[in-house]
Amino acid sequence: MSEKTHQERTSLNTITRREFIKYSGMAVIGACVVGCKGGPGGKVEVNWGFLLVDMKKCQGCMSCMLACSLTHHGVENLSLSRIQVLQNPFEAWPNDLTLVQCRQCVKPSCVAVCPTRALSYDPAYGNVTTVDITKCIGCRRCVSACSYQPSRAIWNFEEGHSQKCDLCAYTPHWNEKGGPEGKQACREICPLGAIVFTKVIPDQEGDDGYNVNLRGEEWARLGYPTD
Amino acid sequence: MHGYAGKILLINLTTEEITVLNTSDYEEWGGGHGIGSKLFWDLVPDKTISCFDPANVVTIMSSPLSGTMVPGASSRTEVQGIGSQTYPEWFTRSNFGGRFSAMLKYAGWDGIAVTGKASKPVWIDIRNDDVQIRDADGLWGEGTWETQKKIWEYVTGEPVINDWLEFASGETAVRTTQRPAVLTIGLAGETLSRMACLIHDAGAAAGQGGFGAVWGSKNLKAVSVIGTGSITIADPDELLSSRLWAQREYGNDLYHPEASAWTWFGVDGKDQMMWKTGGNARLHACIGCHRGCHERSEKAFKNESMCSETYLFVYAGQEAINNDTEETYRPTYLAQSLGLNANEIIKGYSYIKALYQMGVMGPGKEIDCDLPFDKLDTLEFMEKLYDLIISRKGVGDDMAEGFYRAAERWGRLEKDLGTNLLYYAYWGMPTHSSYDPRAEVHWGYGTILGDRDINEHDFCFIFWKNFTTKGNPPLDAETVVKIVTDKMEPYNGDLFMLDASTENIYSDHVAKLVAWHRHYTRFWKESALYCDNRWPDFVNTKAPDNKGLSGEGEPRFYNAVTGKKLSFADGVALGQKIWNLDNAIWTLQGRHRDMVRFEEFIYQEPFAGRGGPDTNYILPWFENGTWSYRKVNGRFLDKQKVEEFKTRFYELEGWDTATGWPRRSTLESQGLDYVADALEEKGKLGAP
Repeated sequence: MSEKTHQERTSLNTITRREFIKYSGMAVIGACVVGCKGGPGGKVEVNWGFLLVDMKKCQGCMSCMLACSLTHHGVENLSLSRIQVLQNPFEAWPNDLTLVQCRQCVKPSCVAVCPTRALSYDPAYGNVTTVDITKCIGCRRCVSACSYQPSRAIWNFEEGHSQKCDLCAYTPHWNEKGGPEGKQACREICPLGAIVFTKVIPDQEGDDGYNVNLRGEEWARLGYPTD
Repeated sequence: MHGYAGKILLINLTTEEITVLNTSDYEEWGGGHGIGSKLFWDLVPDKTISCFDPANVVTIMSSPLSGTMVPGASSRTEVQGIGSQTYPEWFTRSNFGGRFSAMLKYAGWDGIAVTGKASKPVWIDIRNDDVQIRDADGLWGEGTWETQKKIWEYVTGEPVINDWLEFASGETAVRTTQRPAVLTIGLAGETLSRMACLIHDAGAAAGQGGFGAVWGSKNLKAVSVIGTGSITIADPDELLSSRLWAQREYGNDLYHPEASAWTWFGVDGKDQMMWKTGGNARLHACIGCHRGCHERSEKAFKNESMCSETYLFVYAGQEAINNDTEETYRPTYLAQSLGLNANEIIKGYSYIKALYQMGVMGPGKEIDCDLPFDKLDTLEFMEKLYDLIISRKGVGDDMAEGFYRAAERWGRLEKDLGTNLLYYAYWGMPTHSSYDPRAEVHWGYGTILGDRDINEHDFCFIFWKNFTTKGNPPLDAETVVKIVTDKMEPYNGDLFMLDASTENIYSDHVAKLVAWHRHYTRFWKESALYCDNRWPDFVNTKAPDNKGLSGEGEPRFYNAVTGKKLSFADGVALGQKIWNLDNAIWTLQGRHRDMVRFEEFIYQEPFAGRGGPDTNYILPWFENGTWSYRKVNGRFLDKQKVEEFKTRFYELEGWDTATGWPRRSTLESQGLDYVADALEEKGKLGAP
């Protein structure tokens, strides 16, 4: 499937309310009651939101990872970052780099498998799924249950609990309002604008809904491909 | 100790002993070069040894900023020890980007010091606290890229890495998605070529200094490190908000690139590559950097190369810079893979080409060799040249020693230096293109007063902005000079530091310029490890009054990470202390002011006298009460006046003007009493 611009993609690949319910299943319907609404053109919006990335625009500096661990944990640690950049410097573009973020799935398997309900929809932040570390027993089922590779549910081996992207809802080391109505550190710091935030549900099948084209005229000026 | 990992690894390859040093014992030196110099001072009792003596110590240091989001300061690694490249062999330094120092910190180490010599080829495998010296069978003889791939697979157990990797097991299990960071030598290092580099990832290199040969002499093929730990930050919110502030106010704006046209901090990174850029590629950055300066391309052999190595194609017959063929980038790839110093190859190629055209070099000639000179300026010739150097066959054995020593072996050194045929201005090293001592005098002075081609571009933006605008830069000379010199604490306010007029280049003003530059770079760029490609930011056309980030930026980030209260001037002063320790080491190695000189052509040949782009070398010039931009081509340095300049510089630094050796009073004023004692014991203390 060829890539489209972000604008095109959100109109082409957003799903209908019917599809949303189909994807989400009963577990999410409760959240949807307070968390989603129909948008223009039949797009379905939610109160939490999604991070979309452009892997062809990413410069591989990993600033997003450094910002993530810093704001959440007060330290620099690539392993604790909830967004990950995997790179092979010897590989040819564009396969030299993979940028993976939590998909904030509308049907999150990580939430479904948690035996203690440590993973739940957080009403304080638009029902974004978060981990209550006081409830986490460290079974790592959420890490294993994530359908994507590498797992977007992260095992924090330093503190002995799971964690996942909360859209910066809980960033004790950053004096900015985060979460769906605030700022996300990874998006703020990305020097090239290769990360964006949307409340419109991306295509839940495959990666195309989450890996979008954010390259425009300015990118063409640099001489890099925009298609 | 916020920002620090807390430990330094000392590895003796002879005894296989692994020792842990406390970083706190070295913290007063800041990091990077400062700590490296002090480690060398402590660990090498006899400073007069050869670079190939097993007792030589190579330090590989990070800084408190490594592995953090400080823009243009997260990625650099400082390498020190007695190098093989310069003539004579000085205690020297090199520096590379990528992600090695960051990974070292995540593994819990602020640096590595390697001494001794392994009985057979080995590599060092660091996985957090677990440090192993491993047999390099299967790696020795491999190129730098292949070596790294093999180590990745060995360490991770995976041929392809696309998932979380787990190290250890059970309660101690740790995870990462990252590949180990590997620093390695190629065949050039294995064969002890003095042009041998240390290579990391695809294109990061500690190029100058010939440390590849030093590693080769120690039978050290590579160091691999994978780390999963944390670096604590004193003020996380201040760090992130500072980064966002700097990026927003001083960084390059993709949508309005013209706004930040004149700056290092916000420069459009693509101009660091000499070959054709763009196409199916991405701009790529080192870890934590806000602005990439190299690419990864669909032609993977081009990946991550930048600056001089991307210029090799010119000498491989690619007349047009816009060519993008295999011939363009293969000489670069081969240099990266073999671990060869591209800067030396470029100058050396010009030299042997001239020797051939003079009828001196070739089959049956005075310098007899079977290089295919009928195929000059082709990829085939370059490949043969590389092969000859790596095999050390015939004249390859001479060239592997670097072209300065080769010329000496060929009995042509004095003659070819005198005529500028061998464009090596100082310490047996190639003159850094464009930044010729006759033009950028501070570059030349800094080099001969130090240990190597300084390769610090702090003031060169003035030339480049004039060059690229054909002498019509956006800011006039007086404005630029004022902005820059205002930031140069403690010498701020002396505009004439930047007066490039021929009358001024031997003055006290320029002595202050050179001293400030030595001190600033020794700490902020080589110890705190702010990247030369992004710092300092003197002039920034995006900022209010065109005043760049430097002065405010360096300490703001440093303090956010460490929790210290270091001022910009404090850092410059610490740089002076480090510079003095370095000079003490050189003094013990045998340095005397009589050795501090340029080669003859600098005093005899006019700069850019043969034409070329340097004829438009334009710098600020003060004359008849007025500042302007003027061409500096056509001039050469006055030998006697250079000697007078040296005296001024030594006096300014508090060094003995007769010898260039440090005075006790100077060392004691910087808390270096023990250094003064050591110099006195060897009869090398400067006269009061």
